[in-house]
This record gives sequence, C-alpha cells and structure tokens, in this order.
Amino acid sequence: MSFAFDHVTKRFGSVVAIGDVSMEFEPGLIYAIIGPNGAGKSTLVNMAAGSYSVTEGQILLDGRPLQGLKKYQIARAGLARTYQNIRLFDQMTVLENLEVALSPTELRHTWREVLVPPYATRAAARRRAACLQLLEEFGLADMADTHAELLPYGRQRMLEIARALISGPRVLLLDEPAAGLNSGETETLKHRLLRLRRPDRVMIVIEHDMELVMSLSDQIYVLHHGALLFCGSPAEVQANREVQEAYLGTDDDLDSIRELARHRRAGRGLRHETGVVAHHA
Amino acid sequence: MASVSVARSGFRAGRVLARALLVGAVLAVLLLMPQAGLYYVRLADDVLIYVLLALGLNLVIGYAGLLDLGFVAFYAVGAYSYALLASPQFGIHLPFLVILPIGAALAACFGILLGIPVLPLRGDYLAIVTLGFGEIIRILLNNMDAVTGGPQGVMMIDVPRLAGYPLISPRGFYWLLLGICIIVGTLVLRLERSILGKAWAAIREDQDAARGIGINTVRVKLAAFAISASIGGLAGVIFASFQRYVSPESFTFNESILIVLIIVIGGVGNILGVITGAIALIVLPELLRGVAEYRMMAFGFVLAALIVLRPEGLVPRSFGPARLARWLFAP
Repeated sequence: MSFAFDHVTKRFGSVVAIGDVSMEFEPGLIYAIIGPNGAGKSTLVNMAAGSYSVTEGQILLDGRPLQGLKKYQIARAGLARTYQNIRLFDQMTVLENLEVALSPTELRHTWREVLVPPYATRAAARRRAACLQLLEEFGLADMADTHAELLPYGRQRMLEIARALISGPRVLLLDEPAAGLNSGETETLKHRLLRLRRPDRVMIVIEHDMELVMSLSDQIYVLHHGALLFCGSPAEVQANREVQEAYLGTDDDLDSIRELARHRRAGRGLRHETGVVAHHA
Repeated sequence: MASVSVARSGFRAGRVLARALLVGAVLAVLLLMPQAGLYYVRLADDVLIYVLLALGLNLVIGYAGLLDLGFVAFYAVGAYSYALLASPQFGIHLPFLVILPIGAALAACFGILLGIPVLPLRGDYLAIVTLGFGEIIRILLNNMDAVTGGPQGVMMIDVPRLAGYPLISPRGFYWLLLGICIIVGTLVLRLERSILGKAWAAIREDQDAARGIGINTVRVKLAAFAISASIGGLAGVIFASFQRYVSPESFTFNESILIVLIIVIGGVGNILGVITGAIALIVLPELLRGVAEYRMMAFGFVLAALIVLRPEGLVPRSFGPARLARWLFAP
C-alpha cells in the first residue's frame, strides 16, 4: 500500500493555500504534519478526504488518484479521518456511533435484516461485539449506551478516533487529536495512537502540541505558507533553524514576543490587584 | 423487615396487575372496536389510515431528518392507482391485492422522482420544494381530465375483494387496516433498528460526517424517500377502495400538514408517538364537535398548547417501543 501527495496545489480564488506540495507516506509509520496557523495543514486533510477539490496535482492511494471520487468513495477506499472540531452523531449512542461506521459493508444486507429476524439478531450481535471490543480499547465501553453529546470532551475525541478506526482504514488522518485535551488525556492519547500502528496503515497526525508530535511521530513534514518547508525525523526538525524561524520568527522577533508576554503578565497582575482592592472597598 | 418485603411484593403484584390490565384494555379496544357503532368504526378507520400515513412520512422526517411537506402526493398516487385500475374509467378491473403492490411501487417511483432533485437540499429549502411537488401532483390530477377525470374525479370504483369476499363495510376495512398497520409498523420498526435506520440517523445528525465514514448519502436518502412514499401509496390504495370515489380535493396541502402535525405532536421519530399523534389529532376534532363553529379555533388552541407543554411530542423519542416493552415486562 502507498499514499502520497504528488505536486498538489490548492487555490481558493487567487489565494494559494497549498502550492506544489509533494509528500510520500510509508505504511507502518506515524507521520506528523506541522506548521504555524494558516500553513495549509487542514487544507491538505480536506483535500485528501474529498471535502475540497484539488486544483492541481494528484493525491494517490495505492497509485490510484483520489480525485473524482466522492467523499464516501474515498472513505470506502480505506481513508478515514477525524475533524478539528469534533463531529460525532450527537443524538446517537456511543455504540451506535461506531456501528453506523460499519454500514458501508452492511447496508446491502438491509432487506435481509428487515425480513429475516434471526439474521438481524446475528448481524446486530456481530456488530455489537466488534464495536464493544474497540470501545474497550478506548476506555469507552462503560458508556456504550450513552448519547455521544453527553460524553466529556476528552472522551468525545476518543470516540471520534474509534469511529474512524472501526472500518479498519489504511490511511488514518487525525486532525488535531489533542486539541482541548489536558496533559493526562494527551498522554493516554499518545499511548493509544502508538498502538494503532499497523504494517499496512499510514497514520498522519496534524498537531500543534509539539511534545506529542515529537514523541509520537517517525517522520515530520513542516508546512509554511502552503509550501513544504522541511521533512525529517523529530530530532532533525528540532535542530533545523529554518523550522524554528517559521514557528517562532527570528531571534529579534522572539525577543519582542517575550517582551509582549512580560507586558501581558504585568497587565494581568495589575487588573488582579485592582480587583482585590475593589473587593475590599 | 418481613413486613417491608411483604409490602414490596404486594406493590410489585399491584404493578404487574396494572400492566396486565393496561395491555388487556388496549387489546380489548382493538378487538372489540368493530362491535361499536358505525360512527366509531369509521373514526377508527380514519385513525388507522393516518397511522399508516404517519408511519410512512416519519421515515423521512423522523429518521432521516428531511422535512417533506408534499407527502400527500404519494397518497394521491396510490389512490389514483386503484381508481384507474379498478373502475369503469378505462374499463380496467384489476383485483385489489394486485393493485396494492402496484400502487406502492408506483408511489415509490414518484418518491425517487421527488428525491433526486431535492438531494442537495435540507431544512426550509427542502420543505418548500416538497410542498411544491405535492401541489404539482394535485394540479396535474385536476387538469389531466382525460386520464384522471379532472375535478370530478373518478367514480364507481370497484369494491375490493379479499379471498373472494367483498370488502364494503367500515368493519371489514377496520380489520384490513389494522392488519396492514401491524405489518407496516413491524417492518418500519425493524428498519429503524437495522443498519439502514442507523445510517438515516447519521445523515440526520451530520450529513457530512456520514459521508466521511463511507455512507452513500444519495442512496440512503433515496431509500428513505422511496420506502416512505410506498407506504403512502399503500394508504392511498386502501383509501380509494374504501371511499370508492377519488378526486383531487382529497389531496390538498392541508392533508400533508395534518400528517406532519401528527408526527410532531405525537413524537418525531418514534412509532409510539406516531400512533398516539394519529389518535389525538383525528379524535380531537370529533370531541370538539360540541363547540360547533369554534371547533377549528379550539383545535388550534389545543395544538398550540400541546407544542408549548410537550415540545418533544406526546411520546418523546426516548420512550420508544423497546422502552415500552421493558416497562411492561420488567419484573
């Protein structure tokens, strides 16, 4: 199996969101795509999943271009994703959120399910068992019958990843999986993600949490202003000066940022003090 | 301790008895209904027709979350199927049981016909287009005089026969309707629980995410439209065979609205709600006959009050058939 972006360009009108980016992904490895806000990371995911069209170039899964395929066809070809803003089926239970992700292979048996009760019982039991096993791995089994919207935020993230996994995808795209998680949850997430590595699966993580990125990924692609800035191992990325500048600006910039932060801290302290005074008065 | 457990078991026995009485009462009403006066049997027939219609529309509105305001069109397609295939209009006299599936299939085709252009639409826009579709069908029926008899409609429709027996009294139709409602209700319930039912729910919740997990939303939505329309067609065939006269007047926008109301007042996406809603909305105007000319006004007030007091409907989605069964049979 192989997955690659081949000279991909995305333009929104005259704005170039992604300019001639090529990336190759080896199965069995975990990749991170990083870059400052607006670098085009989510645009890449959205193009791969079929939410955006590709202006130029190709996205290739097993050598076959994904363009022209509908979103559901891309999913059926083996590409699963999560969203930057969690998108679950809120009014369905945790279990149902997973079960419905099995529908691409199960839907054609619907009539049998409706008309032959024993088959329906078997099918439901089979689906339930498969989903419960995954829920178990993600620590969600105890909430299988809870509506997804009632889950705490961190567990919603886990459920979304589980939903992407249930169909056994060959390409797993995780769009900021750690966003909004506390450090304990991020740690759990890291260990779960490491266990999802498969010899026939490409895992791509888009993430801002550098600690997670560095400890999780085998290979990192750095995007900047819609272009590929650097590609290498976590150690190479950390050592690369260009990357640091893209992220933090030049040393001069860095000084001014620190200055700004100091001011802000001082300002907050001031407000706090006046608040205390007001309270006493 | 002993007295507590005695009291508890006494309480439990009371509860079991109460439930048995409830089930018994419902069964008794269903079975003895035909023995009541003709007025009541007619009313029961009416309720059952609307249960059937609402079961059909609920697939699209309640399960798939698509607001369809033109459902009456499929009812009309079913009714005219029987009217034209079993009357002197064209001298065709097919048996009732043959037309039943024809009417359902024809309505399903119209369902897909409506479904294809409205696929990209949701919410208000979908409501407006489906509303238009319902009106188009009615106006077509009104104006295709040569085929449909125009505003005069089709008269002298054949008496339906079941196993050789003519079906002519409201009592006979009561049994037919009750049987079909039970069959359709069971199938709909099984559909709801099937993987297709879950795919509908996913589309209702987040269409884009549903595509993202590999659901072909086009096919799944068209399935909802087609199955829903075929149930409407079924109801239409029975309606025409019962009235033995059809005209476009029976298929106005008001009918569509009434069916939507049954679903909304009863409980969206819940079979129990649909049944409750049909009973409430068909029986209520009859109960209000006492206030004569203020009837519709009173009806309006009651509906408004119901929506305010029970925004999730008389039977909320969470109290589905499974909950009812658990409640009835739990120790």
